[in-house]
Amino acid sequence: MKQTVIPIGPQHPVLPEPLVLDLVLEDEKVVDAIPMIGYVHRGLEALVERVEYTEMGYVIERICGICSFMHGMGYCLALEDIMAVDVPERARWLRLVWAELSRVQSHLLWLGLGADAFGFENLFMQAWRMREEILDIFEQTTGGRIIHSVNRIGGVRRDIDDSELAAIADRLERLGAAFEQPARVFRTDPSIRHRLEGVGVLSEKDARALGAVGPMARASGVAIDTRLLGEHLYDRLEIEPIIETGGDCLARVVVRVREVQQSIGLVRQLVERMPKGDGQPIDTKVRGLPSGETFIRLEQPRGEVVYCVRANGTKFLERFRARTPTFANIPAMIHMVKGCDLADVPNIVLTIDPCISCTER
Amino acid sequence: MDGAAFLDRVGAYARYGWRLVVINATSLLPADGTEGGAFDITWSFALGKQFEHLRERVLPGDEVPSISAHYPSSFLYENELRELFGIAVTGIAVDLGGQLYRTAERVPFAPGAIRARLEAAGRLEPGTKQP
Repeated sequence: MKQTVIPIGPQHPVLPEPLVLDLVLEDEKVVDAIPMIGYVHRGLEALVERVEYTEMGYVIERICGICSFMHGMGYCLALEDIMAVDVPERARWLRLVWAELSRVQSHLLWLGLGADAFGFENLFMQAWRMREEILDIFEQTTGGRIIHSVNRIGGVRRDIDDSELAAIADRLERLGAAFEQPARVFRTDPSIRHRLEGVGVLSEKDARALGAVGPMARASGVAIDTRLLGEHLYDRLEIEPIIETGGDCLARVVVRVREVQQSIGLVRQLVERMPKGDGQPIDTKVRGLPSGETFIRLEQPRGEVVYCVRANGTKFLERFRARTPTFANIPAMIHMVKGCDLADVPNIVLTIDPCISCTER
Repeated sequence: MDGAAFLDRVGAYARYGWRLVVINATSLLPADGTEGGAFDITWSFALGKQFEHLRERVLPGDEVPSISAHYPSSFLYENELRELFGIAVTGIAVDLGGQLYRTAERVPFAPGAIRARLEAAGRLEPGTKQP
């Protein structure tokens, strides 16, 4: 049969970011997909040659506007590991509060984009209106809605006092209650189910073989979540991975819906279990130059991110590399679009929650 | 590098259910300031809380075997090694033919390219040691 190549992206109505896929079609069926991820490649990793390690954190958190807090956190964790910095406990707890807030805002952002792609604009507006509340909390606690610059090597720049933390937990609880209604629509609405159920199926076996991470893997029944490793104080929380077994677009939506509610509960746990008392130290003075190498793993909203950092005793790092979750999920995404109808490609691509800014560091 | 022995070690990780987490390369400039260089390539694997790495040091032009027979998802990392570092990875299951990245600078992490950028930034005088 004659094959046709249709390029999707970098600009496409359903793509929030400029992913490029060359789709090879036989009639309306996709038989192959060739990814290209260089459209907005910025070469941020190469900036370690010119930007001192103390300043590089500002660059790293600008890899992406949605994952900015956790990029900054991962970079600081890596340098703290190499330099054997003892980070004050208060700072470590505060980082987790912001990390889980990041997950809530990222998932709400994606759920809005997803709803828009399904043609459900009211749901899009509901999700984004709720996300604004999280951005308000970020602005209130860090000074920034998107770029926070609250992490520093050795701790954090700002404290959140105990009464403010309790107010944030209460506000999130109200948000979680209000989210119940759109959550129910995402899970049960017949038109959404009709559009997503059984589309873009990734089996558990394929998810494992293709190295899928994050909600994408968990929607295929793979219980992989870096938070379960118990690092960075996650061992102090009660946390269960959110698992669905459908492996289709709907399962990926439902995992994210449930994770919004899970992260709201985790912030409550953090606020309740954090050692109380205002005025505790939130950072440690860091001196000297880093020498050594480390690999730090974190669970970003889209899945496991890995920071590979190598320092050679100068003020410039020898290597910084961020392996982002979208990069890890591309092989599985290509696998899913093979054999599907052309009309389903946008939804399949969207349900991996692609972050091209992260992928094109 | 001994490709067969390396693939045996990777195959053992795959057989025991370890997942491939990342393949990362670092360009190394010669410490004596001469031309050339090398690469440290690290293959990282995880199983539950265990996290292990295989590392090989290769020279420009050395052939590095693809591990895509054991880990199908490795093709993306291996195409990246070839395009960004100029490392000769052989036998990649999905060879994207240099179309993965569209960088303004060809092979931006080749030692020669790094040396040129460092010299341009004033961090490295021509012919001097690695900073």
